Amino acid sequence: MKLGAFETNRKELEKQFEQINWIVQDGVDETALITAYEKLLQDMAGKPKALIKAKTFELILTKAPIAIDKKDIFQDKLLGAKIMQKQRADWEKEVQDTYLQEEYKEQSEAWNEFGAYQGISDFGHTSPNSRLLLYVGITGIIERVEKAASREKLTDNQRVFYESCRIVWSAMQVFIVRLADAIEPYNLKNSRALRNIAAGAPGNIYEAMQLLIVYFFLHEYIAGTRVRTLGRLDVLLYPFYKEDIKSGTFTHEEVKEMLRYFLHKFWTAKVDYDLPFALGGIDADGNEVTNDMSYLIVETYNELNIHSPKIHIRVSDKTPKDFQKMVLRCIRGGNSSFVFVNDDIGIKTLMRVGIEEKDARDYVPIGCYEPAVWGVEVGCTGNGGVNLTKAVELVVTNGIDLRTGKSVGIETGKIESYEAFVEAVKKQISYMTERAMDYIRKIEGYYKEINPDPILSSMYDHSVEEGVDVYEGGAKYNNSSLYFYSIASLVDSMAAVKRLVFDGKMLSFEELCQIIKNNWKDQEKLRLIARKLPEKYGNNNELADELAKDISEFIAELNLNHPNGRGGVFKPALFSIDFCFFAGKRTMATPDGRLAGEPLSKNLCASTAMDRNGITALINSVTKMDHSKFPTGSVLDIVLHPSAVSGEDGLEAFYGIIRTYFNRGGFAMHGNVFDASTLKKAQENPEQYTNLQVRVCGWNAYFVNLSKEEQDAFIAQAENAV
Amino acid sequence: MIKARIVDIKRMAIHDGDGIRTTVFFKGCSLKCVWCHNPESIGFKTQLSYIKKKCIGCGECVKVCESGAHIIENGNHVFHREKCTGCGKCEEVCLGEALKLYGKEMAVSELMPILLEDKDFYENSGGGVTLSGGECLMQADFCTELLKELKNNQIHTAVDTCGFVSREAIDKVMPYTDIFLYDVKAFDETVHIKCTGQSNKIILENLRYIDRCGKKIEIRIPYVPDYNSVEIEEIARFLSGLKNVTKVKVLPYHNYAGSKYEALGMENTLPEKIPDKEVIDKVEKLMRVVGL
Ligand code: SF4
Ligand code: SF4
Repeated sequence: MKLGAFETNRKELEKQFEQINWIVQDGVDETALITAYEKLLQDMAGKPKALIKAKTFELILTKAPIAIDKKDIFQDKLLGAKIMQKQRADWEKEVQDTYLQEEYKEQSEAWNEFGAYQGISDFGHTSPNSRLLLYVGITGIIERVEKAASREKLTDNQRVFYESCRIVWSAMQVFIVRLADAIEPYNLKNSRALRNIAAGAPGNIYEAMQLLIVYFFLHEYIAGTRVRTLGRLDVLLYPFYKEDIKSGTFTHEEVKEMLRYFLHKFWTAKVDYDLPFALGGIDADGNEVTNDMSYLIVETYNELNIHSPKIHIRVSDKTPKDFQKMVLRCIRGGNSSFVFVNDDIGIKTLMRVGIEEKDARDYVPIGCYEPAVWGVEVGCTGNGGVNLTKAVELVVTNGIDLRTGKSVGIETGKIESYEAFVEAVKKQISYMTERAMDYIRKIEGYYKEINPDPILSSMYDHSVEEGVDVYEGGAKYNNSSLYFYSIASLVDSMAAVKRLVFDGKMLSFEELCQIIKNNWKDQEKLRLIARKLPEKYGNNNELADELAKDISEFIAELNLNHPNGRGGVFKPALFSIDFCFFAGKRTMATPDGRLAGEPLSKNLCASTAMDRNGITALINSVTKMDHSKFPTGSVLDIVLHPSAVSGEDGLEAFYGIIRTYFNRGGFAMHGNVFDASTLKKAQENPEQYTNLQVRVCGWNAYFVNLSKEEQDAFIAQAENAV
Repeated sequence: MIKARIVDIKRMAIHDGDGIRTTVFFKGCSLKCVWCHNPESIGFKTQLSYIKKKCIGCGECVKVCESGAHIIENGNHVFHREKCTGCGKCEEVCLGEALKLYGKEMAVSELMPILLEDKDFYENSGGGVTLSGGECLMQADFCTELLKELKNNQIHTAVDTCGFVSREAIDKVMPYTDIFLYDVKAFDETVHIKCTGQSNKIILENLRYIDRCGKKIEIRIPYVPDYNSVEIEEIARFLSGLKNVTKVKVLPYHNYAGSKYEALGMENTLPEKIPDKEVIDKVEKLMRVVGL
């Protein structure tokens, strides 16, 4: 390992996914590949989808052009021509057209036009057992498949399953050897490492990293499954690290140099929504895992000054404080790609859906913040969501989407009392939730036809033992999800109705409905009164907090632990990601004084600038809800002014905020440190701030690339910061 | 039950002692520093702050004010400060959030629930409650009662004082105070008078006294160019003779507070010049050199 080479080559490495010199072998270029694929489809017409898929994968891996990066120490490139992404989309379309035409139309209208609710299929949120991959290797995985397949009395289904598993992993071996051959003249060590991982389990940390990379890029870029977590990276790599240092195979510095290439690869690839991995927390036996690798990864990552992959820091009561403070220092320095998650709640919430404790302890946050058991659960944490605030609009209109005039909710009739209003809101929420869940269940019945996944399935023990694809319910836990978002906007609106109409008697409910329909036109004074009301979520206000609690319990009743369509249950989430903007545009004015089209409240945050009593009061409010009833997760974003966290004192205070949030039962917390004036300057002179990064929701973005509206939301939040 | 005039309660205060704290600002100060950036806490009487540019002319205040301090003239809102009795009714209804009342009367029993809300934040960050101002010790009996109650609840307490108070006041709060945050503005008496309107004799004596009593002290030195900037070495020498100073903080003067003076109808006394970063670094270094 040549130290320092990374820095020298960094600029060139950054372009590796943009300028690729494909090596065409045996005349199979992109066109020929597509032709070959079409022929394959014809030849295999009527065959099981799993087999077609495996064969497609095999075709690409064994024939398609590959590329090597001479400046890199890891190889991964293969021209997939998006064949498999398209294949899945075609198959999904086929299912929709054949069985679910009306239902699909309803869902896409409910989301795209009304911003109300949405149920969708989800093949993008997985937590593959990367540990199995590293510890037994590709050959080990194949052996396990073979062993299970050698049982007597297999069904046809099982035979097909095992056959497709064998095909995909053998194809990977062929591909890896192709890479090894190609790189051999330039980098013998890399070539050797590749040959080793094709022929057995990785023998050292370098081979382990190479295998993770090959696996990830094949699964995500070629096979088209969003991997959405590499798992617990410190747990994965530490045994190799320890062994290699002990045996003298590599020095600490060499491992660090490898890590630079490794982490930087995901950054350069611009993986959609940023690929996460987890560090810290307890293992299945309850022991804290934080190790030398955890520190080294954070250190290297921060020095690289990159923002993807993103890192989830699992925090148990045993996670070393100095490790947490090291991460806080990175956040303070401007790296906002870290999210802290609370082991206590993560584990408790998974146990609520019947996951055994030892499994629950080995969860990883997948995607943005969603806990799912590593390599044991197929979490499907992206099945769509419900816009809670829309319920108020639907009560006002008696079930009509105001913007389009089309019917979307149910008729809840005339409202005579506050109690009747609350009932009506709940009925609308319940209706939207049921519609979304209904579709999810139905489409899940066809997952096998849309996305059989032999790669993923062979990494799940249970699936291999049973001979059943993970998307057919083969994993030990097969769960689904639904996001419930804009709780603060909903609560503020309900409180406003109570205060203005039913308690304050300032106007009748009908009058308020009219005003809402007219988007507060000529009612600025009343609108300001509504905004000024103290009953706002996020201020430790009793009425607002009670409402939030009541609604959250209600959501849990509607969704938590209800059966899904593939043998598991639903896991609700309390976060919005960027739906608060999309759905906000499609949600008309609300009684809290919000104007039509303005963003809805984000994640667990208060409505924009409505947390008037600072972070501690906000946390007081937020933690009155039972976060453990939301096993797809929940997150609170906080914005701190740089001066608030300066010095050792400031860091200690930062730590204190997170510790208190967790002690009070919060699950995930994400901190941004910046001041409003910097953001304003960046808005005005974007060219000078091209590097300023903010965490949008579950992923990072350059501030200057956000829409004006999103930028304004960030500025408002920062102006409110302590 | 005794009450105190409270300017404001700031939760999640980070710079008023260690950890996360809630700071209670008392109304009224025994000094009048030219650079004061909390003008709302100088006077002892209740004051209404009116930020003209926030006023939207809604006229809600006119409806509730019994002394006729708010009027709408030619469609514009005008505030007649001299008529205001500080009842606070208009603040509640002001739709532009232009009005804010400083100096609400509060009892210990009203403050405590608010201060207890963040108790676990204090515990998790090594923080607590800070009494500040103004000069909180001008209402020493109230402070004593409040501090006692805080200690009954095992909350860490800090008293932020300018030191220009009676020995008696200090004695009263001492048993319930974990740390004093003590301002030192000048060593030379004439400089001190120029800056604050008062001699610093009592202040330095009180500081020595607290030190002798063995209480922890965090020293804060506002650094204001052309005012006390010449004093720094003397201050440092004086401080190095004390035994229980746990920290010395140099607070660079800033002049952001101008709009607050305007909103309160007070004469703006703020110096214009703000210190350079290098100068502050130098001062901090000096403090370290003398072992502080
Ligand atoms: S505080 Fe009371 S007296 Fe003063 S202006 Fe407001 S309502 Fe009038
Ligand atoms: S209530 Fe406030 S905003 Fe309205 S006129 Fe009075 S000062 Fe102005």
